[in-house]
Amino acid sequence: MKIKQKKQKTGKGMSLIVSIVLIFCILGAFVFYVAGRISKEMSAAAIDNLSESLDLIRGTMEAILEKEAEYQKLITKELELMDAPEKLVQFYDGSETMVKLSLVPEGASQGITNKGEAFDPEELDFSAGRMVEDLPISESYINYMGAWAYTLKSPVVLKNQQTATLYIEYIYESFDKALPNRFYNSSASLYILDAESERLVLKPKGMGEREAGHVNLEDFYRANQILEADVKEEITKNVKAGKNVMFYHDIQGKRSLVYMWAVNDGSIYLIGYVPVESIQREGSAVNQNIFIVVLVMLIAFCICCALYFFTQRQRIRAAIEREKERELHNRQLAEALQAAQVASKSKTMFLSNMSHDIRTPMNAIVGFAVLLAKDADYPEKVREYTRKITASSQHLLSLINDVLDVSKIESGKVALTIGEFTLSNMVSSVDAIIRPAAKAKRQNFEVTVTGIKNERLVGDETRINQILINLLSNAVKYTQEEGNIWFRIIGLEQRSSQYEHIRIEVEDDGYGMTPEYLETIFDAFTRAENSTTNKVQGTGLGMAITKNIVELMGGTITVVSEIDKGSLFTVELELRIPEEQVDRNFWKEQGVSRILVVDDEEDICRNVQSLMEDTGVRTDTALSGEEGIRQVCRAGDQDEPYHVILLDWKMPGMDGIETARRIRAVVETHVPILFLTAYDWEELEKEDVQAEIDGFLAKPFFVSALKEKILEVHAVFDDRDQAVDNLETDSLEGCHFLVAEDNEINAEILMQLLEMEGADCEVTGDGQAALERFQNAAVGEFDAILMDVQMPVMNGYEATRAIRGLKREDAANVPIIAMTANAFAEDVKDAVDAGMNAHIAKPVDMGLFKKTVHQYIKRKE
Amino acid sequence: MKRGVCRLGAVLMAGFMAAAAGACGQEKFLEGNLAEEQENRIRSVLLFAPMEKSDPDNENVSRTAFDLTVGMAEEQLGVTVEYRTYTAENYQEKTYDEVALDRARNNMDDFYLLNPDTIQALGEEGKLADLSGLDCAKNLRDVVKTANTVDGKLVAIPQEVVVNGLFVNQDMFDKYHLELPNTPEEFLECCRVFKENGIETPVGANRWWLENFVLAQAYADLYNGDTTEEEIAALNSGEAKYSDYMRPGFEFLKEMIDKGYVDAEKAYVSEAIEGEGPDFLAQKTPIVMAYWGAANADTAYGKPDFQMKVIGFPSKRGQMPVVPLTGYGVSAKAEHMEDTMNVLDVILSDEALKVYTETNKVISPSKNVQVDCIDALKPLNDRVNENVYVLGSNASMKVEQWGNTCNIVRELLNGATVEECLAEFDRLQEESLKE
Repeated sequence: MKIKQKKQKTGKGMSLIVSIVLIFCILGAFVFYVAGRISKEMSAAAIDNLSESLDLIRGTMEAILEKEAEYQKLITKELELMDAPEKLVQFYDGSETMVKLSLVPEGASQGITNKGEAFDPEELDFSAGRMVEDLPISESYINYMGAWAYTLKSPVVLKNQQTATLYIEYIYESFDKALPNRFYNSSASLYILDAESERLVLKPKGMGEREAGHVNLEDFYRANQILEADVKEEITKNVKAGKNVMFYHDIQGKRSLVYMWAVNDGSIYLIGYVPVESIQREGSAVNQNIFIVVLVMLIAFCICCALYFFTQRQRIRAAIEREKERELHNRQLAEALQAAQVASKSKTMFLSNMSHDIRTPMNAIVGFAVLLAKDADYPEKVREYTRKITASSQHLLSLINDVLDVSKIESGKVALTIGEFTLSNMVSSVDAIIRPAAKAKRQNFEVTVTGIKNERLVGDETRINQILINLLSNAVKYTQEEGNIWFRIIGLEQRSSQYEHIRIEVEDDGYGMTPEYLETIFDAFTRAENSTTNKVQGTGLGMAITKNIVELMGGTITVVSEIDKGSLFTVELELRIPEEQVDRNFWKEQGVSRILVVDDEEDICRNVQSLMEDTGVRTDTALSGEEGIRQVCRAGDQDEPYHVILLDWKMPGMDGIETARRIRAVVETHVPILFLTAYDWEELEKEDVQAEIDGFLAKPFFVSALKEKILEVHAVFDDRDQAVDNLETDSLEGCHFLVAEDNEINAEILMQLLEMEGADCEVTGDGQAALERFQNAAVGEFDAILMDVQMPVMNGYEATRAIRGLKREDAANVPIIAMTANAFAEDVKDAVDAGMNAHIAKPVDMGLFKKTVHQYIKRKE
Repeated sequence: MKRGVCRLGAVLMAGFMAAAAGACGQEKFLEGNLAEEQENRIRSVLLFAPMEKSDPDNENVSRTAFDLTVGMAEEQLGVTVEYRTYTAENYQEKTYDEVALDRARNNMDDFYLLNPDTIQALGEEGKLADLSGLDCAKNLRDVVKTANTVDGKLVAIPQEVVVNGLFVNQDMFDKYHLELPNTPEEFLECCRVFKENGIETPVGANRWWLENFVLAQAYADLYNGDTTEEEIAALNSGEAKYSDYMRPGFEFLKEMIDKGYVDAEKAYVSEAIEGEGPDFLAQKTPIVMAYWGAANADTAYGKPDFQMKVIGFPSKRGQMPVVPLTGYGVSAKAEHMEDTMNVLDVILSDEALKVYTETNKVISPSKNVQVDCIDALKPLNDRVNENVYVLGSNASMKVEQWGNTCNIVRELLNGATVEECLAEFDRLQEESLKE
C-alpha cells in the first residue's frame, strides 16, 4: 500500500517537473523569439540610422564643395570685371580652405599663384571629368603644405571669350571641422577616399583606427581582410557607377558593416566600417535586459520552488515527528497501562497481604479479648491473654507505621530532620535493640567500627537508625538460629574534608535470597516467600523504605546474596562533619593525659590508638593481662601513671577480672578501670567485679563513649552518696496533668493509665477548653499539659501558642507534651515549633511517656 | 491578522511604486550640462607621425608600445591624441620627411615624429619649440641631448634611442663557414663568398638606410676618439672636409654596387623593409639593414624562421652601430601648445618610457630606464653598452648628416660617381659656411 502511495507521489512529482520544464521551454522559446525580433528590428533601424548619418556627412561635404564652387564662380565674376585680374590673385593671402589661387591666361602654358610663384596647370589631373557645380575637380594630391588637396578650375570669360582660367586649391583637412568628432562612440572608422586615385586623403578626427596606417583602398582591404575577389569586384563596379555600398563582413574578428558612401556623384567616397554590436547597442541592451528580467524571474521562481519544497519537507518532517510522537505516546500509554496493571496487581497482592497481615494480629486481639472476658476471674490467664493482646497490638502498630511511612516517602513528603549525633550513641541504641533479638535466636551478633575519623556527624539520626534497624532486624529475621550477623561501620577515604564518607555493612550467613527476588527487593509490597520464611511476617515495605531513605540522603544501597549462604547489604553515605568537632580541653579538664588499653586482639588496640590520636592523649597498649600489670607498675614507678585503664574481659591467660583486681591493687582508687567488651553487661554484672571495675564500654570503641563514661565515673566519684534511685524517678506518683483530648475513649484510657501510675488528670474536650482551664488554674497547679493535636474548636498547636502567649509566670515554662496520632517527624517538628516541649505518638508507650514527663518535671524542679 | 498583512503589503507596494516613479522622474539638471561635457571630452592634440602599413596577421609592437603611452596621457590629461599620417606609395611621390617638413612649416599639426634631418632642418628654421623645460627632459641621456639640441634649444625627444645595425642570417653565414664581418674588407669577402655560392644579392637594401655604411666608416674615429669636439669644430669652420670623412664609405658602397652585392636599381625605388624584407625572411638575402625595433616587431623581422643576429656596420674600428636619433618635436606655433607639452611630458616620463621600453625591448632615452634585450640584439647592445657607436645625426654639425647623406647615396644608386657624390658634400659644406 505504502509502495503504491510512494509510486503515486513520485509520479506526481515527475509530472510536475515535466510541466515546469515545458512551461520554461515555451517561455524560453518565446523570449528567444522576441529577442530575435527585437534584434532584427533594431538592426534594421540601426542600418537606417547609419545610412542617415552617412547621408548627413555626405550632405555636409557636398554642401561644402558646392559652396566652394559657388564662391569660386563669384571670384571668377569679379576677375571678369577687372582689367588686371592677376593683381587681384596676387593680392589674395590664402585661407584655411582656399589655400592657393592661380590664374593662367588663355593660351599660356604657365600662370601665377597668389604667392607670386609660377603655376603649371599640367601638374593637375582633371582627366576623370568629375565636376562640382559645373566646375571640374582635379584628382587629389599632396600640396605644398603636406596636405591632401584638390583644385577646382573655372574659366574667366570676358565678352563671351575666355581670357584666363582660375585654379583654386582646397585641402581636405578643411572638411574636418565640419564633420562630427565621434562616430558611433569612436567604434566606427571613417576615411575619405579619392575615388580616382583610390588614396585615403583624410581620416577625420576621432573616426579612424589610430593604429592603422591605411594608405589607399587596397591597403584598407588588406588591413581589414576584405580579400574576396567577387566582393572587391562588386565594390569596384559600384564605385565606378558612383553608387553607395554597404555590406556585412568580419573585421578583426567582429561582425561589421562596411560602407562606402559616394560624395559628389562618386568623386569622393566615405569609407569605413562599424562593428554590428556597436550599432545594435540599444538592441543588445534591450535583449540583455530581457534576459536579466527572465533570469531574475527564473531565479525568483526557483527560490519560490525551493521554499515550497523546503516548507513541504518541513511539513512532512513535522508529520513524521508527530507520527513518531504519537507512537511514543501510544507506547508510553501502553507501558503506563502495563505499569498500572502491575501496580493494580501489586496493590491487589498488597491488599491481600495486608488483609492477611492485619487480620492475623487482629484475630489474636479479638480472640484473646473474648477469652479475656470469659476467663476474667483467672488472673494467670488474664495476664497471659493481655500479654498476647499487647504483642499482637505492637505488631499491628508496626504494620500500620510502615504502611504510612512508605506512602509518605513515595508521595515525596518526607523531609530529613538534620541534627548532630554521635556514631557511638547510634550504634549503642541499635545494638540495644538488635542484640536481644539476636540473642533470643542464639545468633552471634558482632559489631565493628573501623577507620572513622569523626564520630560526631550531622544527619538525620532517626532515619539512619531506621535504616540500620531495618537491615539488622531483617538479618535477624532471615538468619537461622545460631547463625552469625556482622554489623560493620567502616570509614572510607574522604572525598571532601567537610564530609565523613562511611560504609555500613550488614552481613549474615542466613537463608539468602534468589536472584529473581534480588531484582525486586527494593520495590514496595514485595516479600520473600519460601517454605522457610513463610512464618516470618512483615509488610514487605521495609526495604523499599530503606532504599528511599538512603537515596534521600544522597547515598547508595546495594545487596549481594546467595541462597543458603547469606546476604550482604552495603550502604554508603556521606555525612557532614560539624564545624567544632573536637573539644580538646575535655581531656585536660578531666586530668587525662595517658591511658592504657589491655586487649589480646591487636586490631582493637590499634583501633583505639588510632581513634585517640587526635585527642592528644598518650595511648599505650598491652596484649595480655600480665603485660598490662607490668606497664601499670612501670608507669607508677616513673611517676607517669595512667589516668584511665581499659580492659578486655575475656583474654587468654589472665582474664580481665583478675587483671582488674591486680591493677586496682596498685593504682589509686580514683583511676577509672573500665571494661571494653562485646559481651552483655548483664553477664558481667553477675561476676563479682563491681569493687574493681568502674564501668563498662561496649565494643566497638568510641572516643565519645569513653568521654561520657569518664564524666559519669568522675561524677560517681564526686558524689557517690547522692546517687538517685532510678526506679523512684520513673514514678509519676502525685503528678497532676491537664489533658486536652476530644476522643472520650482515648481520654479514658489515658486517665486509667495515669491512675495506674499514681497520677491524676483533668480532661478537657478541645484546645479552647484547655486554654481556659489553664488560665483559671493556680500557678503550678498542673505538672504538665498533655495536648492532643487534632481537636474541634481549637487544635493543639493553636492552644499551645495561646498558652505560651499568656501573661502568667508559668505560661512559658509549663511542660506541654503532644500526645497525638500524627506520628511523623514533621509532626514532631510542628509540635516543637508551636511551643510544645515533647511529642509522644499514640498509642502511648507508658515507659517512654514516663521518661519524657520526668525529663521535664525534673527540669522544672 | 490577514487583513493587517494585506495592508502592510499594499503600503510596501505603494512605497516601492512611489520610489520607482521618483527615480524615473529624476531627469533633472543636477548632473550638469551634458552638452558642455561633450565639448570638454573631445579636447585633442594633433600628431603627425609615420604609420607602417597595417598587417592583419602581425602585431606592430612599436605602435602598441607607443599607443600604451598615449593611452596613459589621454587618461591622465583627458586629452585625445589624434593622428595624421602619410606614406608614399612609390619613390616618385613625396617622402614622409618632405611632407613632414611641409606640414611643420605650415603649422598643420601640434607635434611631429621627426627623423634626424628634419629635426635639424626645422630646428634651424625655428619651427620647433624648446622642450628643455619639460620634466621628462631632465632624465635624458647625454647622447640624446647632444643629437637633438639646435641653437641651444632641445627641439626633439625620442621614446627610444634608435640604433641601426646589420641584420644577418646566422644560419647562412654558418652554412658557408663565414665569420660575422668586422671590417669593410671582411664584409666584402663575405659578400664575395655568398655571391659565388649563388646568392644573387647578398645585401638587401632600400632607398633609406644605405647611408649607415657610409656614416659608420666616416665617423668611427670621430665619435670613438678623444677629439670629437675639435673635429666637429674643424668641419664647421671648413678646416676639415666632410668629403674626406665620407670617401671610404662611398667607395665601399660603389664597390658593393659594382660587384653586384647590392641591387642599386631596386634599392633606389624600394621603401624601407618593403623592398628587401621579403627576400631576407625568405633566406634569399643573408644581410639587410634596419633599426633596433625591427628585431622586435612582427611586422618587420620579429619572427624569422632562422637564427638572426644584429651586428654593427663594418668599420676600421670593428662593428659599428649607427644611432640616428629621431624624436617628437612640437610645432612652435602649435594650436594646442599647453596640452601638447603636457602629453609629451607624460609619454616621455620615466613611467611611460619604462612601459614603452619593456614592450618594445629597445634602448630608452632615459638614464633611469634599463631593459634586457632579446638574444638577437645582444651583439649590437654590447657595442652600445661599450659606448662604441656613431651618431647618424648631430645638430652641432652645420651640415645635416642623416638626410643629406641619404640623398647623396641615392644619387650613387642612381649612377653618380663617388667623386660627384663627394663634390655634393663639398657644396653643402660651402653653403653652410656662407650662413
